[in-house]
Amino acid sequence: MMMRVRQTLLRISLVAALALGLVIAEGIQANSRASAQEVHVSGPLAGAPAVMHQRLWRDMRLHVEPFFAFTIGDEYSRSLIVGGELRFHFLDWLGIGGWGGYSVAKLDTNLTKEIQAEGVTRNANRLSLPEKDNYPSQIGRINWWSGVEVHFVPFRGKLAMFQKVFVDADLDFFVGAAFVGVEERTNAVGVDAAGIPSRNNVSNCIIEGTTAPDNQCLDSQLARSKRTVIAPSFGIAFSAFFKEFVGITLRWRGIPFKYNTGGSDSSATGSPGQGVIDSDDRLRRFNNMFTVGVIFALPPKIKTTD
Amino acid sequence: MREFGGIALLMAALLTALLTAFPTAVQAQMEFSLDEVDEEAPEPAKQSKTEGDLIEELAAGDDSNSGPTEPAPQREEIAEEIYAVQQIYALRLKRLELAPSAAFTLNDPYLKHYGLGFAANYWFTNVLALGVNFIWYDWGGDPLQRGTDLVNRIGNQFRLGVPINDWQFGLWANFTYVPFYGKFKVRKKIFQWDAYLIGGVGMMRTQPIPRFDPLGIRSFDWQTNVAFNVGAGLRIFMTRYLTLFTEFRAYMWPDQFENDQPVPPPQQGDPATWIQSGSTFVANTSIQVGLTFFFPNREYRLPK
Repeated sequence: MMMRVRQTLLRISLVAALALGLVIAEGIQANSRASAQEVHVSGPLAGAPAVMHQRLWRDMRLHVEPFFAFTIGDEYSRSLIVGGELRFHFLDWLGIGGWGGYSVAKLDTNLTKEIQAEGVTRNANRLSLPEKDNYPSQIGRINWWSGVEVHFVPFRGKLAMFQKVFVDADLDFFVGAAFVGVEERTNAVGVDAAGIPSRNNVSNCIIEGTTAPDNQCLDSQLARSKRTVIAPSFGIAFSAFFKEFVGITLRWRGIPFKYNTGGSDSSATGSPGQGVIDSDDRLRRFNNMFTVGVIFALPPKIKTTD
Repeated sequence: MREFGGIALLMAALLTALLTAFPTAVQAQMEFSLDEVDEEAPEPAKQSKTEGDLIEELAAGDDSNSGPTEPAPQREEIAEEIYAVQQIYALRLKRLELAPSAAFTLNDPYLKHYGLGFAANYWFTNVLALGVNFIWYDWGGDPLQRGTDLVNRIGNQFRLGVPINDWQFGLWANFTYVPFYGKFKVRKKIFQWDAYLIGGVGMMRTQPIPRFDPLGIRSFDWQTNVAFNVGAGLRIFMTRYLTLFTEFRAYMWPDQFENDQPVPPPQQGDPATWIQSGSTFVANTSIQVGLTFFFPNREYRLPK
């Protein structure tokens, strides 16, 4: 009974998560005699599994993975992250894990530097750029990252490097939820010299939670607020195993969520903006993260199939 | 685009991963055979049972059920170590590879670029090829229709204009080297794949899009720039002559953009003032996805 459940789960997960793989594996078979490398056996090996003595790198093992990561494709600032991940695999192809990391450094992009050097402030855009020299202080940044994910490992095989080094490797697809610590510019309202809210003649700002206008939005530019964002996360990882308990992994993770990347009044499509810094100025970004990690597997002794 | 931060980080990460992996890897299992799993000394070939995977077993052959049944002469046991190594599924040696593909630019925040590409490579060893690749980007229409919202946001919020160039096509001569190959098991099927490094030199045709032209008199011709590229790809063999591939390429060239500085009225009609005096190094990172066809389609004779 348990065997049938396992086989059913295997089939369902493969169909759901690996449509492309099944198209390759099954679709081509339907039209062509040359479907990858399928071997028809009529000798004593008939009925034998495709792989014997297969090493089970994940089955009932805990993977501890310290990693270094960085974000890519950011408009204003990219994060360098140090963190760790824990995964436990109930089966060789199915597991669950959690991860977390802290942004140890934040590198501004060239666009941020160009705005800092050449941005122009007028009353029409004062809310978005109160003072160009302080622009890096107003952009949205991500301080910490974490998440829980389910992992599917449908592809596994062997890899030869330079015809000298041979290692086992697999592809890990994962999906889950991420919890991200975002720091962005505090909500504020642009007002004119008389203290009346204005979209195109902003002289000062009233920061959320205060009543008095600041001086030319300079305090508003530096005011920060923090929140935790919950977002979907998903990705793919390539792992190679060199010892029974050591491997490396290269991982891409996407975490789409909204935040005010530029710390500006972004909600209006034209100029001027809405005259307010608020949640409407949060823009959806894909937030790509690339990770390099080292896997330590526990228990160290690996199991093999028959 | 126009910055190397992301590319440098990516390259550094990959290099670190390789350097981390290699010293350990050379001590790891050195065979495709599974004999080394338990780190036992391999048995003499005559006594070997069905170890390793099925492909290896087939490659090694099994004569136990074939041949005449006359009694074999008494033999002494030979303690010779024989490893069954699987044949490479598809050889590239002396074959021509033709590869149509689609190219998607990853890192241009201002303008989307969609390209159709074609590559031809000749493999003069099984791991080394020389070839060319071509990508066409110019599909007509107003290129600013492909502009991202970032262009307008920068203008509205920071009063900054961004000079933008459109692309016509690129043409490069490349070397391809295949340091990695392997196989993946999907259910009961085994797919062969390889990973390759590619790099070369060629040309890129670009054209500034007039955006700092209050008089509306600026127009630009396509300009040819010397271009370089490096990349890495992954190829999955569907058959011995058909593969799916995807590759990451970084195309780099020094480009000239429109002059975004004010020009005094007497000189505004001078085309020499329309272009920036210096060049800006552009790095276009892109993902390409396509098919490759290997010719000729060889019949393989695998040794028994």
